[in-house]
Amino acid sequence: MEQVLFIVWRESVEALLVVGILYTWLRSTPEGARGLKYLWGGVAAGLALAVALALVLLGVSSWLSDEGQEWFQAIMSLAACALVVQMVVWMKKHGRTLKGELESGARSSVASDNWWGLFVLVAIAVAREGSETVVFLYGTVSAGEGGGDMAKLALAGLAGFAVALLTFWLLQLGGKLITWRRFFRVTEILLLLLAGSLLVGGLDHLISLDVLPTIIDPVWDSSWLLSDSTGVGKILADFAGYRALPALISVLLWVAYWIVVWALLRWVGNKAARAPLAARSAS
Amino acid sequence: MRRLHRVIAAVLIGLAGLVGMAPAQADELPTFTLTFKPDGTFEPARLEVPAGRFKIELINESNEPVEFESIPLRKEKVLGPGVKSFVVITISRPGEYPFFDDFHQNVKGTLVVKPKE
Repeated sequence: MEQVLFIVWRESVEALLVVGILYTWLRSTPEGARGLKYLWGGVAAGLALAVALALVLLGVSSWLSDEGQEWFQAIMSLAACALVVQMVVWMKKHGRTLKGELESGARSSVASDNWWGLFVLVAIAVAREGSETVVFLYGTVSAGEGGGDMAKLALAGLAGFAVALLTFWLLQLGGKLITWRRFFRVTEILLLLLAGSLLVGGLDHLISLDVLPTIIDPVWDSSWLLSDSTGVGKILADFAGYRALPALISVLLWVAYWIVVWALLRWVGNKAARAPLAARSAS
Repeated sequence: MRRLHRVIAAVLIGLAGLVGMAPAQADELPTFTLTFKPDGTFEPARLEVPAGRFKIELINESNEPVEFESIPLRKEKVLGPGVKSFVVITISRPGEYPFFDDFHQNVKGTLVVKPKE
């Protein structure tokens, strides 16, 4: 459930980043204030879109066999892992210029009085984060059909959203204390750890299905030192993919994951650092 | 949005792969029963099984959903109220493996894997 809270928090903050920047900008000019209803309309449309996607995904579970569910969970975990990495890379690429791009995009919308552009921009931003949340929630909760589970989930989700609003408010307040950049730096690491745990979870399902050889199972037993089922070990298991009795294949792929992510981010980071220089020398 | 389409496509491909490979195994396996009681406990709380491949039948006798979950056993399975299902597990290493009901986290169970004779 902590995972649900974290995900909803993080995804909400991201959607709020886009919405918040546009909102601040619209409020600052008189003609922009007219666009506010398109902004909120975009938020509503984005949420509706995310919910529609949720219903499609949830419908899948009711007609799946046991083995089918195992496959579904494996695929969802791995897809969620890929989504997180993709998102972190995207942020690395655009985080620096995001504010400027959004503002110039909104300004051209105002100029042509084309508020629908703004509407679509916000709807896409919200639906993107919303649908990602849905994919995560699905990967985490899988076939939960009971009332108690859904209530717990909804509560964690609402709590996550509330904390996101609070975070956003704090960030708006104390821009000097925690900068967006530092915020992204910290959450970037957390997200990559989380993606690693989704990867290991997906691999566990694939091992259960016998489609992935374990090679050596287990490679080691650290359960005497740190159990993965209770306390700190459980948190590490949920957030970083820790296993007390890992199969060798999981260890190998986990290491490979970090090497790939590290190389990818370095490559993107270098490109992003070079881009402004190139633009400057061209002009 | 394109990304989500890709996710859905991946899911459908995965599902397509399922047809045809569903039954095959799971016969003649040593089978054990684990019951989720209405008071949120397991019956039995200590389940002894031989090393190797085996099947645990899960019966939810309570009127709440339960989730059989174990990280070391690499299993999580949600059961609605009154639902019966099963998990097939392969363990070669004798030892004790904890499991729990994710919706009633204070109740713990132990799977004791005995060496094969």
